[in-house]
Amino acid sequence: MEIRFTLNGKPTAVDVPPDITLLRLLRDYLDMTGTKCGCEIGECGACSVILDGEVVNSCLVLAPQVEGRRVVTIEGIRGPDGGPNDLQEAFIEAGAIQCGFCTPGMVVAATVLLRKHGYPTREQIIEGISGNLCRCTGYQQIVEAIQMTVLRRGGLPEKEEHA
Amino acid sequence: MSIKHFDYVRASSCAEAVALLSDPTHISRPLAGGTDLMVLRHKGEVQWDRLVDISQVPEMRTIVQQGEAIVVGAAVTHAEIVEHPLIQRYLPLLADACHSIGSPQIRNRGTIGGNVANAAACADTLPALVCLDAVARIVTKDGEMAVPVKDVVVGPNRTSLPAASVIRDFVIPIPPAQARMAFFKIGRRQVQSISRLSLACLGWLDADGRVAEVRIVPGACTPQTQRFDQAEAVMLGQVPTEELVRKAGQAGAVQMIAITGRRWSTPYKELALPALIERALRKVFGLPEVR
Ligand code: FES
Ligand code: FES
Repeated sequence: MEIRFTLNGKPTAVDVPPDITLLRLLRDYLDMTGTKCGCEIGECGACSVILDGEVVNSCLVLAPQVEGRRVVTIEGIRGPDGGPNDLQEAFIEAGAIQCGFCTPGMVVAATVLLRKHGYPTREQIIEGISGNLCRCTGYQQIVEAIQMTVLRRGGLPEKEEHA
Repeated sequence: MSIKHFDYVRASSCAEAVALLSDPTHISRPLAGGTDLMVLRHKGEVQWDRLVDISQVPEMRTIVQQGEAIVVGAAVTHAEIVEHPLIQRYLPLLADACHSIGSPQIRNRGTIGGNVANAAACADTLPALVCLDAVARIVTKDGEMAVPVKDVVVGPNRTSLPAASVIRDFVIPIPPAQARMAFFKIGRRQVQSISRLSLACLGWLDADGRVAEVRIVPGACTPQTQRFDQAEAVMLGQVPTEELVRKAGQAGAVQMIAITGRRWSTPYKELALPALIERALRKVFGLPEVR
C-alpha cells in the first residue's frame, strides 16, 4: 500500500506491504539506515524517531500508522550548515560515542527532551534517555554531553538553578 | 497457528471499528499504540490477518470533564495522561501510575485502553483504575455497555470483553476534595521480574479524624486486580496510627496468600506488599514517613 507522510520536512510517498514496521520502512525501503535496528520489541531505543513531535520506538509503529503524519529521523537532525549540531558536537566532545550503535537513538531522545524542557535538570535528562540502552559508555558521558548542550544553550548549572 | 502476512485498515469511529472487527471475512484485532501487538508480531505470534487501527479515532482521543467525572478516551497515551491538567488536578494517582510505565518512548505510544484490553498481569494502570472506581464504556455490535474496570480484567491476559468490541473510554468519578491518593511501584521494567509490585491507594478522613473511606489495590499481585478489603477493614472507622497501618499491611499479606496460595514469588511479596501498603497509607493519611 502507498503511505504518504512527511519525512524530515519533505513530503514522502512509499509503497510498502501493510504489515511492516516504520523501522523497516525507513531502513529497507528508503535506505535510511541512521535509525538503528536493535531488539525490535521496544526495549533498546536504538530505533527512536520523532513522530508528530514525540519520541517513539519505530519498531513498535506499524508503517501505515504514519500516514499523514510527521516523522523526523536522525538524518533530519543536524546543524544549519548540514554538519553536526551543538548536541551532536557535544556527544563527540564528551566521549559519549563508543561503538555508536545507540547514538542516533540517544540524539533523537535528547533532541525531544531539550525541546520540551528547554533546560532539563540532570534528573530529567536521565529520565529522558531511560528508554535508550547503551552497552558501551555507562551513560555518564551521554548525560554529560546533554548537560554540556544545556549550558551552551544558556541554561544554568543545576546548583544555581535551584538556588 | 501463526499468520505470515496481514492487512491494515484505519477506523475513523468506534462504530466503524466494531463493524470492521465483526467482518466475518477477516480475523481482525484492534491496534492502538502497538506496544504489545508489535511485540507479538516480532515473535511471529500473529493470530490475525488484519489489524484495525483505532489509535486515531477522535472520540477515543480526548480527556474531558463530564459533571462529576473525568472521561478518558481509550486511545489516549500514557504520556498524554501524565501531562493533562485535569488528571494532574483530580486524579494524580492515575498520572503517577502512567508515569511509572516503561520509557518515554513507550509512554508516547502505549494507550490506557490497550493496557486494560491486553490485561497484562503487570499493567500499571489497572490498580489505579480499579482504585478510582473507573468504569469502561464498551462499544459492541449490539450497542454500548458500561463495565467496571475490575470486572473487565478477569485474569492475566484475560478479559470479559465481548468479541469484536472496543473500549471507547473510561468514566472516572472525581474523588471528593478531601481525598488523598498514592501510587507506588517497585521493580523495574522486566515483565517477569519477581520484584514487580505496585499499589494504588486512596482515602479520606471524616470530621473526627477517622477513616471514612479507604481503597487499597495492589497491582501485579493477584490474578484479578481487586481491592484488598481485609486491609481496608483494619483502617475503616479508626484514627490512623503507626500501629494501625502496620496491621493493615499484615492483613494485606494474609489476603494475598489467601487469594494466590503460596508460589515462587510469595516469600518476596509477603514482605514487600505490607511495606508498600504501609507507605501508601502513611502518605494518604498524613502520617510521617519512616526510614
Ligand atoms: S529496535 Fe526498537 S526499541 Fe529496540
Ligand atoms: S556507544 Fe555502544 S551502545 Fe552506546
